[in-house]
Amino acid sequence: MEDALKRLDRAFNPRSVAVIGDKMALGYMWLKAMSHFRGNLYSVQIDEREFPGIASLGIKNYLKLSDIPEEIDYAVIAVPNTVTPRIIRDCIDKNVGAASLFTSGFAESGTDEGRRLQETIAQIARDANFNLIGPNCMGIYNPRLGVRHSMDQSHGRGGNVAFISQSGTHATFFSLVGPLNGIYISKSVSYGNAAVLDSTDYLEYFGNDAETEIIGIYIEGVNDGRKLFSTLKEVAKHKPVVIWKGGTGEEGQRATASHTSSMAGSPAIWDALIKQCGAIKVDNLYELIDTTKLLLHARPVAGDRVGLAAMTGGQSVVITDAFTREGFKAPLLSEASYNKFAAFFQTLGASYRNPLDISLNFPYLDRIIKSIEILGEDENIDTVVLEISVPFLKDLSWINTNLFDTMIEAVADFRKRCAKSFITILVSGHAEQEALEVKKKLVAKDIPCFASFESGARALRKVADYYQRKSSL
Amino acid sequence: MTSNKIISTASKEGRTALTEIEAKKILTEAGIACTEIKLATTAKEAAATAKKMGFPVVLKIVSQDILHKTDVGGVKLNLNNEDEVGKAFDEIMKSAKKHKPKAKIDGVSVQPMAKPGIEVIIGMSKDQQFGPVLMFGLGGILVEVLKDVSFRIVPLTKRDARDMIKEIKGYPILQGYRGHDPANIELLEDILLKVSEFVEKQPEIKELDINPIFAYKDGALALDARIILES
Repeated sequence: MEDALKRLDRAFNPRSVAVIGDKMALGYMWLKAMSHFRGNLYSVQIDEREFPGIASLGIKNYLKLSDIPEEIDYAVIAVPNTVTPRIIRDCIDKNVGAASLFTSGFAESGTDEGRRLQETIAQIARDANFNLIGPNCMGIYNPRLGVRHSMDQSHGRGGNVAFISQSGTHATFFSLVGPLNGIYISKSVSYGNAAVLDSTDYLEYFGNDAETEIIGIYIEGVNDGRKLFSTLKEVAKHKPVVIWKGGTGEEGQRATASHTSSMAGSPAIWDALIKQCGAIKVDNLYELIDTTKLLLHARPVAGDRVGLAAMTGGQSVVITDAFTREGFKAPLLSEASYNKFAAFFQTLGASYRNPLDISLNFPYLDRIIKSIEILGEDENIDTVVLEISVPFLKDLSWINTNLFDTMIEAVADFRKRCAKSFITILVSGHAEQEALEVKKKLVAKDIPCFASFESGARALRKVADYYQRKSSL
Repeated sequence: MTSNKIISTASKEGRTALTEIEAKKILTEAGIACTEIKLATTAKEAAATAKKMGFPVVLKIVSQDILHKTDVGGVKLNLNNEDEVGKAFDEIMKSAKKHKPKAKIDGVSVQPMAKPGIEVIIGMSKDQQFGPVLMFGLGGILVEVLKDVSFRIVPLTKRDARDMIKEIKGYPILQGYRGHDPANIELLEDILLKVSEFVEKQPEIKELDINPIFAYKDGALALDARIILES
């Protein structure tokens, strides 16, 4: 029998998927979610009342898993919880790569019956060295192959970010919000109660996965903390790992117990774990998205000195506040830079000290580009930050014109040329609709953009700390 | 090895708490400098030991049943002559018996009074998920009120030790504050690493507290230590 890791790899890259126990009452959510699967999809259902519904989806149904005439790489189990032991044995007999158990009503229910049932299925799986994902989870998402757990998830385009999530909601949200920010998933897994396979196993797998360059984790608790400690330390050496720990207060810990039966543990020790292993800590979905985006689309951050380009005087003050509050410095520029500015920069009501107040230079695209170019070349600067003010663009009627597209083109071009890390802050103001359009264009060009000075500064802090630690190893 | 012997003796006797004398022997063997400590069972013996050590000295109650020595009036500081030592011995025994009549008392320890330094503490406890974890903080009010402490999971690397010291808010105090002597940070790192290495080798130890350690410009000295074994 092939080893467990190889079978897990089959499940993450399946050629065949079986959905066991999907039904009308669930809206055939699993069969529908898999409708774009590029391999062979099968249904297993014994209730004949469900046959017409399954047939109408154009999916072949079998009464037993063993009746399916080919090897099954990945199975989704949605049968009632009392039936799960038998179905897991069927999966073992069929040599399925891995099965994810959507069914809930196990340890997370807090009942003795639920706990016993979880112990039973875990024992069956462990005895056979079988890859059981869950229970109480949404399982695998592989967009490239169209393996999904929600019809809302995109399919076709794969990426290089893996996500390991103890929660199905966060796995789904990350997969939906990610692409809006230029983050595409290689594979993700929602693993629920972790009765057999735990975060550590997936981390090890993604650590070795050639498609995956960055790993995100949403975690509530862990069964074997020592093993996570040593695995995380190893994986974080060669791939950035961003960790969002759920359940940090007393009340939050009560929530994790009933959500995934997890012992949330002491927040101070989790913080220590993340620091010691060289991973990056985030506290919510948006920090996770922002940090991942920066890791993906900006060059490594070399230090704490930022060159700030704001569109107006007021913004030049608060952009500086936001970045210095996160421990960055906005130093004066070199003599050479000031000489370059003096040659073209309109200083009436504007300033090029650092922060830059572009003001009346704005209508001239070449001046904006020249300004950030000077920042990018200045020896005192590690990261260039550009404010893109949508209200300002709107006032000038640049939005939806060639002028604006030309500007994005020029900024994208600068990003490629610039040898330093470069980020933009997209200030929406009242122009929220227009800001969405602008964001789409920036994302399409892989230009990292953030919704506020504060969120940009926070993400830059996390990533700068990551690179600083890495370079001093 | 001294520590193995102490630990096996204690567990044979059904004890989980080690005395300060035992704890310091173990730490000394692990390479951590502790104040000299001698057991005295009579006032006369205490006075003679103190004279040999040199004044001023400290007397502390030694009992496996008394973990918080000051709470029972079991500590007397800054004793400058044999008379004071003898008197302190009697007072400690009397007070301890009054507060804890059932406690088995070995005697009183005599220790030289350490010169003042920056007070730091190092502790080890076991986390249910992550096993042994070290804590570092400044002693006294900073740890008690402000909870200004940092944690790392065992085993520590040199970098972890350095980071956990730098991480506390009181770090500038260790760097030397307003003309006060700085602490030797490298030496503190070294103590953390030694504790990490030692607790990894001795899984029988459930909890450990070195509180306080006096940190000096050119040294560091453990003044008190508490070790609890797994039951």
